Amino acid sequence: MVPMAKKRPVLRVAGLKKSFGPVTIVDGFNLDVFPGEAVALTGRNGTGKSTILRCIVGADRPDAGTVEVDGVTVRETDPRVRRDVATVIDDLDFFPDLSVVEHLDLLARAHGVPDSDDSVDEVLREVQLVPQSGQLPGTLSSGQRRRLALATAFIRPRKLLVLDEPEQRLDTEGVEWLAGRLLAERERGLAIVMASHEPTLVDKVATKVVRLSGVTYEDGDE
Amino acid sequence: MSKKARKRGAEVGVGEVLAQEEGAPESQSAAEPEAPAEASYYFLPDAEPLDVDERELHDLMKWWRHGRATRTIWQALSDGYVTVFVVVMLAAMVTNVVIHAQGSMAGCDTTACLTGRLLLPSATVFACYALSLAVGRLFGPVLASAAEGSWLMDAPISRHYLLRGRLVWPLLGSFLIGGLVTALVAALSGLDWLDVGILGAAAGVGAAALMAYAAAEQSSERTLSLKLLQNLSALLAVAILLVVVSIATGWLPVGVVALSPISFALGALAVGMAVLFAVSLRLALRRLDDIRRARLLSGGSLVSGMQGAMFALDFGLIRDILVDRQAIEKGHVRPTRGRGVGLAALVWRDVERLVRNPKPFVGLVLSLVVPYAADALGIVQLKSFVSALALMAVMVPFLGSLRVLTRTGGLARTMPFKTASIRTASMAVPGVLALLWALAAAPAFVGIAGPEESWELGMVSAFCTAAAGLFGGCRWVTAKKVDYAVPMMATQAGAMPPTLIFNIFRGFDVVAVVTAPLILQAGPVWSLGLAFGAFIVVRGTFNLDELKAESEAAQRELQAAKAQAPVQKKKVPRPGAR
Repeated sequence: MVPMAKKRPVLRVAGLKKSFGPVTIVDGFNLDVFPGEAVALTGRNGTGKSTILRCIVGADRPDAGTVEVDGVTVRETDPRVRRDVATVIDDLDFFPDLSVVEHLDLLARAHGVPDSDDSVDEVLREVQLVPQSGQLPGTLSSGQRRRLALATAFIRPRKLLVLDEPEQRLDTEGVEWLAGRLLAERERGLAIVMASHEPTLVDKVATKVVRLSGVTYEDGDE
Repeated sequence: MSKKARKRGAEVGVGEVLAQEEGAPESQSAAEPEAPAEASYYFLPDAEPLDVDERELHDLMKWWRHGRATRTIWQALSDGYVTVFVVVMLAAMVTNVVIHAQGSMAGCDTTACLTGRLLLPSATVFACYALSLAVGRLFGPVLASAAEGSWLMDAPISRHYLLRGRLVWPLLGSFLIGGLVTALVAALSGLDWLDVGILGAAAGVGAAALMAYAAAEQSSERTLSLKLLQNLSALLAVAILLVVVSIATGWLPVGVVALSPISFALGALAVGMAVLFAVSLRLALRRLDDIRRARLLSGGSLVSGMQGAMFALDFGLIRDILVDRQAIEKGHVRPTRGRGVGLAALVWRDVERLVRNPKPFVGLVLSLVVPYAADALGIVQLKSFVSALALMAVMVPFLGSLRVLTRTGGLARTMPFKTASIRTASMAVPGVLALLWALAAAPAFVGIAGPEESWELGMVSAFCTAAAGLFGGCRWVTAKKVDYAVPMMATQAGAMPPTLIFNIFRGFDVVAVVTAPLILQAGPVWSLGLAFGAFIVVRGTFNLDELKAESEAAQRELQAAKAQAPVQKKKVPRPGAR
């Protein structure tokens, strides 16, 4: 086995800083995530977990620092980054007139997944949305929408999986299933970064836990 | 609650007044010795609730609201004197225009004028009916806010009294809007005042009657008859409008249509609608208690969502809300298998979407009337501009995919393509439709009555017009949300974010720029060049945000590299030193 230090990280975050007005949410944040590693960001509300994840996927621009995925500096619009990073964060939108199964079919085809029909069926079964396959997203419950969002991440090829509180709105069985699935993904060599408040998920999946604390204001108070 | 009690309430507190007004039980307990301390805030399961008078509850709410008002209506009007002044001025201007139009239109005695004078207001009557039913179905028409749903609808009270007032506004609104708009069109057409009154009454009473009918059907949630009536009214309005255009352009050689049968028919329609109004209103009032809470609240949430979007003048968001609403109403579709791989999958999905929902084609086909009518009416210079505007409006429903992929970054991020490629793929199907439109409209640009242009130039003009409409539509749907974090612009109406102002003109700017050479008769080749420029902008080839992000990222990397590199001092020999 190649030692961790010799491998190239899938994700490298160096000196990340992000402020909103006078409030510095993240400052000097560094993180390397290697293949087969799962990092869980934990901490109280407002400590910058989602902000870090948004900077990682390119949805927000950091004030300082760099984010690289597989050696490529992250820009949200870069097709290489879009190809390698699967995300489940809160800004995922759905086509109002496409059904659940059509969303997955479209994504699988867009990524050139071989045997897309079989893959779609498999993922649909796994997220337990087979009965809802013909439903339009507007009619799904919040938990079902979450499952669809997770399915969009699992249907496509990926090197890095970025998840912001993936356990949100899932029932207890759903959280158990998600933990098992993420564990399997990690063991197959996928790199995972997630923010979570769910101890079951963190304990089962994470190989490294980063606990974030506090924000800094302009006058230096924490 | 009496006025006296309200006055006292202000002094001693509402709870106390209520307790005193409830009558016997509380009064008696007050007279008795103090109750033991076991009385608490919780309600005992076997305790009998007091009877609630809905009228008093309603009055109490009203009184609370009045109590929170910080200004009287007169103070508000005096503060907004500019608005009042503007309204008065506009009313005076409209009146003046109507009186002048009456005079000048009365002098016109061509067949086109005389038939248009009769038929155009008739089309407006049916359009008002269709609009009234559409709005009624969309909002409820009886609705309640989320707060009322949570706090009042749970209580064991009759909703009739609370909802009765909610029925008044839609009825009054539809009566006034329908009546005034139709009367205005009739007056501008040059009809005499009696006919204006008949048409206005037919439209106003009819619109209110259909709104009342929609309210009567709300409790049972039956929509079939409403949809049928709505489509029938819309169809009649469009058919009459087409007849007006056909007569005006000479396509339909008919004599002057007689006025009296139409006036009589519309008068009879007004009477019939008045009967329908009385019956429907009675039914609606009786069924108010049966309307489901979810149905009441969905209308309320739609209103609050649209209010927010209107505040930001975000018309795209308003359309999104309506589209989402339609999708929720539909709920389920028969899934179809996609085709192609990569970007082709996106294009094929758009094709399948149109097969599933071909309704927008109606608008596309109807928009073809505009260039032909403009040509027949001799509006040569503005033909391209008005045709492109019509095409832009009907293109929007075909651009749903582009809208969803650009309104947030989330969905585009899931696809392994450049943003410009995604946009181009989303424009492919609408682009083909615009091309077909150009081919179908080409004879109008060459000139039907007598050739105004050569076939080549006419074709290029039609193509440029179609491009203007398509790219105008694309620009409209890709409008960004109003950003209140950026520096504001100083305007006469106070500080405003730039996007709030520029979003209003979005789409129209592309149409104006691309068709400008055609309007100024500078030649369609210029228009073609400008259309290509518009495509580059709409496609997002040069996205300023992306370029800025790239430059910032490059700067950061440079600074990081500088910080990491060992400092190499270069020796500079001193002058004169050996």
